[in-house]
Amino acid sequence: MEALLANYVEKSLKQYMRRNAIFLCERLYAEFPSEVNLQLLARCYLNNNQPHSAYHVLKGMQMAQSRYLFAVACLEMDLFSEAETALLPIEELCAHVTNGAAVQYLLGIIHRDTNRMKSSVEHFRKALSIDPLFWAAYEELCILGEAEEAAVCFGDVAIHYVQEHYLGNASSYLQIANSDQSLDSSQAFGLEDLSLSHLQQMEGNNIRNICLNNHGGPNLTGPVGQITNSCCNSSFFRTPSPVLTQLSDMAPPPLIRNIRFCQNEVSLRSSTQARREFVRENESAQIRGSLFFDSGRRRSARLAAAQRSFNSTQGSENKANNLRASIKLNSGTCYSTVCKGQFQNLEEVGKLLETYDDAVSAFRATSSSLSSSADVKSVQDETVNTQLRSFISNSSKIKSGISDTINLLRILGEGYRHLCEYRCQEALNVYQKLSSKQYNTGWVLSQVGKAYFELVDYLNADYAFSLARQISPYNLEGMDVYSTVLYLMKEDMKLKYLAQELISIDRFAPQAWCAIGNCYSFQKDHETALKSFQRAVQLNSRFPYAHTLSGHENVIIEDYGNAVECYQKALHVDARHYKSWYGLGMIYLRQEKIEFAEHHFRQAYRINPFSSVIMYYLGTTLEALKRSEEALVMMEKAIVTDNKNPLPKYSKANMLVTLGRLNEALEILEELKECYPRESSIYALMGEIYKQHKKYDKSMLHFGIALDLKPSIVDVAKIQAAIGKLILPDEIEDNL
Amino acid sequence: MATESLELEEEGKIIGGNQHLIVDDDLREMGKKAAWSVSSCKTGNGVSSLRDDNLENYWQSDGAQPHLVNIQFQKKVKLQLVVLYMDFKLDESYTPSKISIRAGDGFHNLKEIKTVELVKPTGWIYLSLSGNDPRETFVNTFMLQIAVLSNHLNGRDTHVRQIKVYGPRPNPIPHQPFQFTSREFITYSTVR
Repeated sequence: MEALLANYVEKSLKQYMRRNAIFLCERLYAEFPSEVNLQLLARCYLNNNQPHSAYHVLKGMQMAQSRYLFAVACLEMDLFSEAETALLPIEELCAHVTNGAAVQYLLGIIHRDTNRMKSSVEHFRKALSIDPLFWAAYEELCILGEAEEAAVCFGDVAIHYVQEHYLGNASSYLQIANSDQSLDSSQAFGLEDLSLSHLQQMEGNNIRNICLNNHGGPNLTGPVGQITNSCCNSSFFRTPSPVLTQLSDMAPPPLIRNIRFCQNEVSLRSSTQARREFVRENESAQIRGSLFFDSGRRRSARLAAAQRSFNSTQGSENKANNLRASIKLNSGTCYSTVCKGQFQNLEEVGKLLETYDDAVSAFRATSSSLSSSADVKSVQDETVNTQLRSFISNSSKIKSGISDTINLLRILGEGYRHLCEYRCQEALNVYQKLSSKQYNTGWVLSQVGKAYFELVDYLNADYAFSLARQISPYNLEGMDVYSTVLYLMKEDMKLKYLAQELISIDRFAPQAWCAIGNCYSFQKDHETALKSFQRAVQLNSRFPYAHTLSGHENVIIEDYGNAVECYQKALHVDARHYKSWYGLGMIYLRQEKIEFAEHHFRQAYRINPFSSVIMYYLGTTLEALKRSEEALVMMEKAIVTDNKNPLPKYSKANMLVTLGRLNEALEILEELKECYPRESSIYALMGEIYKQHKKYDKSMLHFGIALDLKPSIVDVAKIQAAIGKLILPDEIEDNL
Repeated sequence: MATESLELEEEGKIIGGNQHLIVDDDLREMGKKAAWSVSSCKTGNGVSSLRDDNLENYWQSDGAQPHLVNIQFQKKVKLQLVVLYMDFKLDESYTPSKISIRAGDGFHNLKEIKTVELVKPTGWIYLSLSGNDPRETFVNTFMLQIAVLSNHLNGRDTHVRQIKVYGPRPNPIPHQPFQFTSREFITYSTVR
């Protein structure tokens, strides 16, 4: 009954019949109160968004899987310290729990949320090294600004590692055959004794390892139990890890079938002397190949499932998902057992795979000559052979699939890293390398949009984001940035429409409320805008942009105290949010606390050294601090970075005027005048310069134009006052 | 500033008033940053009624003329416009008829900058503080005092329903000599 119920619960979970699953699982637990059933119950609760139930159920449980699920529940409820205590000690946990990478990732998240950035980075890195396909860990590293180049993380080493895991299945699978054969045919090949004893030693170690695993690891009920029982008898059959059931029910049966076939593999085709030699040479390969043996069963089962999934799916994304799922299951056990100092070099192993496959086939061939009951079993053997052959061809498919996936992740990772470090042009170039299938997806297009936004190219950003919305309208990530783009472009209608759409899709998404806030801010209703941003904050207090936007609104209504608080909250969540540093700098600049302003602008500049606006403000601050040379250098940099930005040029002209280099200033202003003929401040400044040059008519002309272009009242007053002063010297001259 | 009804200024006389309060976007209300006080008031009709955006309640003075409304800022501010809401039809003899606006650093050195006579004001009355000289568009001061010197029909006490004070918006980009007007300049001037 226990097995039946457990099976049924798993099925219900798969089909998302949550209430069904929970009810039956509760009955199951009541009937057979074991920790494994408890874990199943917790999984049901977690699936149904009831982390608190899972928390209470698993509190105090010590099994590795329980501790992992407990930590997940704690994280959902923001109980960081409890989650952390549950996840330590890590080593043991990684060994027993299938997804060692996920454990590291969770620890990374906990450390990041409790402000231990350095250790958080370490954990994310470990997660990535355990499981190279763990994108989330790489993403977090990028956000923290500590990611290595994607080529390193998703490079050839990673490819080999993943391939090795997958094909390790194949070779271990064949290894089982091999060892059986070697047992039988050990007399025939004297060498075999040596290899066999080696094998036995290795296997001995591995048995010990696996027994350890089994002691610690939970034993999920169901088919696994059966296999455990049946397989424990043979010394060469390894007890499978509990991982197995998580994958599928199908896996074990083929396994048993295959093993039996292997036993009969003695009766295979005839061989030649050459092959024997080949075998001898590859003896060492076999020994090392036996390393894979430890988790052999699991791998072959996983591989069988992986094969099936490969055959059934089309796109590489699916492959990635499946691979990821299977790798997660794989990584913990493989890593812990295999990497206990038994091989040094992944690439070596990869090469070994090739030789190993050959060795095994050679073995197969040689041992067949000893067969006595060849004919009877030939049919079975043929099927085994075809299985093996298809296996080997599948393995090359798998290899290419893996390298495709990792290549895809490498491109995406590189693009994401560039964008997080604000190298927008490089990010755009990298994303261009994607296939059009991948490029035209919501995530990539909104990344492209963000890149254009940071480059102050709002037209292209608008285009990219609107394309993203067409393709995946349900994806709200990045739509807060889109609303800001529309706000800055003053596209009132589009902004309102976007906000309406987003809210109708998901009322609880902070991005939707940010869009609404931007709408109200555009209408100058800053109080309501502030309320909307605060709602976004309530929905997700770890969403830094909502805090930053609140800060901006507070600045507009001149509530600087609250603005500073909002910006600081944003920085608390994400210290690399350069807009909050900028916001704080602006406040201090307005309040004439210039040193503070400089410090904050410098921080912003350090994080985003490619923004001409930040450079401009840093330059302005330096000028206010009377460090004119540095200010000029900074303005030059700003001009070089973004030639389309007129402000640094204008500011440079202004600084040159104060330094007395009037002609250079005039040159710059003339250029600016050509590009922006309707900017009153250019003419006003030129008027000032001509006044200093005593060219009063020209000065008068420019002031007049400046006034015509309708500047603000303050400037009108200034310019009129300046004109007034112009006339006086004329009068004085006349009088003289 | 648009007007709904007649506004004739003859030797400082203002007749009538405006129904709507419409002010340039260039100006912003400065009263929130100031400390407001009055020379005297009747209980229940205090100074808060002057600032509550409610035209139904009013400040009623309770002492000798001239009745004073003092507006004190923490630092020198540029002011350009004072707007008052009065209603002759409702207040009759309580409606002010002669108003003097003074500015200075404090109570000791206030100087009169404007005097105006009102004739049956009904609605918002705009009193610009600018002089004729373009250099005098704004009054740069610590304190503003609005003095009600006399009422209609020789009333002793006065009713004022609302007072707003306007000054120019500061340059959104600090430390720049002139404000930017064109779209391209403004686009590049902020990070959001």
